[in-house]
Amino acid sequence: MNEEFKSKYHEKYAAAKQKGVKFWPDIIYKDLIVSFALFLLLIGLAAFVGIAQEPKADPNDANYIPRPEWYFLFLFEALKFVPGQIEWVGTALIPGIAILVLILLPFIDKNPYRNWKKRKVGVSMMSLVVVGIVGLTVRAVVTTPEQEEVSLAGSIAEQVIQGQDLYSIYCAECHQPDGEGGEVAGVEGLEGVILKPINSQDEMWTRTDETLFNIVDLGQQDLGMPPYGLGYGGELQRSEIEAVVAFMRYTWDERAEIPEEAIIGIPGLAEGEVPSYEVHISAVAKRYCVSCHRPDKENNEYLMQTYEEMLTTGDNADKNVVAGDLENYIIVTLHRESIFDTNGDEIIGPMPPSKEIKAEYIDMFERWVLAGMPETADEAAALSEPAAGEAAPEAEATPEP
Amino acid sequence: MAKKASSPNLSRRDFSKIVMAFLGSIMGAFVGLPIIGYIISPALKTQKIDDWVSLGALDGYPIGTPKLFSFTRTKVNGWERTTNSFGVFVLRKSASDLVVLSNVCTHLSCRVKWIEENQAYVCPCHDAEFGIEGKVLYGPPPRPMDEYEFKIEDGNILIHLTEG
Amino acid sequence: MAEKIYNWLDERLGLEAIYGTVLDRKVPKVNWWFTLGSASLFLAGMQAVTGIFLTMYYVPSPDKAYDSIQYIMNDVAFGWLIRGIHHWGASLMVVIVFLHMLRTFFYGAYKYPREITWLTGTFLLLFTLGMGFTGYLLPWNQRSFWATMVGTEIAGTVPLMGDFILKVLRGGTDLSAVTLARFFSAHIWILPAGIVSMISVHMYLIIRLGISNIPSEEE
Repeated sequence: MNEEFKSKYHEKYAAAKQKGVKFWPDIIYKDLIVSFALFLLLIGLAAFVGIAQEPKADPNDANYIPRPEWYFLFLFEALKFVPGQIEWVGTALIPGIAILVLILLPFIDKNPYRNWKKRKVGVSMMSLVVVGIVGLTVRAVVTTPEQEEVSLAGSIAEQVIQGQDLYSIYCAECHQPDGEGGEVAGVEGLEGVILKPINSQDEMWTRTDETLFNIVDLGQQDLGMPPYGLGYGGELQRSEIEAVVAFMRYTWDERAEIPEEAIIGIPGLAEGEVPSYEVHISAVAKRYCVSCHRPDKENNEYLMQTYEEMLTTGDNADKNVVAGDLENYIIVTLHRESIFDTNGDEIIGPMPPSKEIKAEYIDMFERWVLAGMPETADEAAALSEPAAGEAAPEAEATPEP
Repeated sequence: MAKKASSPNLSRRDFSKIVMAFLGSIMGAFVGLPIIGYIISPALKTQKIDDWVSLGALDGYPIGTPKLFSFTRTKVNGWERTTNSFGVFVLRKSASDLVVLSNVCTHLSCRVKWIEENQAYVCPCHDAEFGIEGKVLYGPPPRPMDEYEFKIEDGNILIHLTEG
Repeated sequence: MAEKIYNWLDERLGLEAIYGTVLDRKVPKVNWWFTLGSASLFLAGMQAVTGIFLTMYYVPSPDKAYDSIQYIMNDVAFGWLIRGIHHWGASLMVVIVFLHMLRTFFYGAYKYPREITWLTGTFLLLFTLGMGFTGYLLPWNQRSFWATMVGTEIAGTVPLMGDFILKVLRGGTDLSAVTLARFFSAHIWILPAGIVSMISVHMYLIIRLGISNIPSEEE
């Protein structure tokens, strides 16, 4: 740029300044309004969109689809168009040159004009780059395959709760709902095997979390316990095994104080209250039934993981759960009686096979069946009302002498 | 936006200054106040312990001499499982009469030791001495050693551990 | 009284002089696009404040990083807010800084006499991206772990010294505790130090040269 242009620039700038405004407060006022808008946006994003939960890093998980942060996606996408042999052109050469050009732009661009109408080449090049970046980013977002869903537990309390569910599904079948052990019944290949309790002080005080983790992960195959870790042919991810261990530790080890939020029981029923699937039945089923009544288990195809499944699946779907009928298969087998077919052969044994569940839970199932199997708590509450209505006059009558 | 401030008493500049002060204070409050909560919140959430801890068979403790029993409890602190160790001196005064004392010095929480020759619990930090039943004999502690509530069930001693 | 204190301070700190040179000066009348620079500064400040407070609970170790963030999100009062602002602020900052760069480009504001302002600005853009890259690993979740795995792998494709660069970035051949520690260090010390020094020069030049005017047709 020659001296003439320089002095001309200073002249123009001085004139612009003359007609201009004060930095404080005029400019700062505008700045602050924009910053405040961004502030609201940030708070809104933090409060209403939040941050997607992600599982802990697992270097052994081969299924995870790596994706960079969104503002590097365009680069990532661009590499799809670079042949592998000259990968470095896309990863190093082009970005390197682009960055260098950007940094040195004032020294490369010798055109002294500022208005875009007199810099058409530069402006169109930059526009193309921006369109390219936006286009590639959009393309990358559109073509990104969905990540496989995984269960997530945040705090230790959530871990314990998740662990309880996993324990009920994968472990309770043999080790019993509370880790008490005993004779295994109804499990292929392990029928009649006697298991020691795993909830004892002996067990808990002498096994560290790491040991427990390894036992679940790798199994103890000489003793008949299969591996549960994904890496060894099982179904559990690392974080899930950690949750099971957390459940065991905080429930059975009296040295560990269980966080209050993690104490979950099966809610009890009041006089005349109708249980719902949502609150009561699913809790009992999760704890005592689902470990066998899920896919790929020997269970006459009867699944109990959801409300729908419980009512409609299985070889005896029409007889398992029948509204108002206490002679249906669930209730009968819970009372430890077998079901026989017309030839007199046993088709279903007592449930659960190992030992009877508490009478209060059987009562829960009976009341549920009699009320017509309400699904949600609201439905159950609606059905409970008559009972509450009957109780109400009594309650009113008593205080008046 | 600034046109609103056309009233004669309020110049545009004053108006914008008021707006700025207002917006600035809102931002300060919406970040500052949560940060205070953020800093102090672990202090407000401490886990309580309320347990009966078994010290083993009563017969395992000699009559007349204090015996130390150690045990641990695990709590969740933030992202960590913190294991705290506890020590209690069990003094069996007679066949069924007990005193169970915490081994934590009441001065600054150092761990005291039973020294047979002195017939006293001695604190290694400031040379405090406590008598066999926990009374302060010498040194800075403000009160006698802390005593645990206990009960005996099936020949086992249980002490009541509370915290928080 | 207040006036007395002010005069006492002014005599020693030169407050009037600062007010005169920094705040009370005339600048050309400009449009709303010119607020992007201060918006970037504002976001950088928010990132600094929230980032500083995140380190109060965050632990840069593969064993505990994830758990400590779970703790921040679930148990610490307003932890979700502080981390939420930091998380979204990072993305927003990349957008705003980039737009600020485009504004400067399209108005030709990088030309004489503002070449060095542009130079420091491009470094600030790169540092912002660097902050994004290093900060992304810190939560030590699947997403961040694998993104960093691929990201460092990309650096490894540079001809001749790629392998060396990859090892320097990761602190060895594997993405490990060493990587996490150095990314943390870069994220909270090295890059911020660079950013603060660049912002200082950038701001000094803006005050010295004034904000650029909107170029007229013959400029």
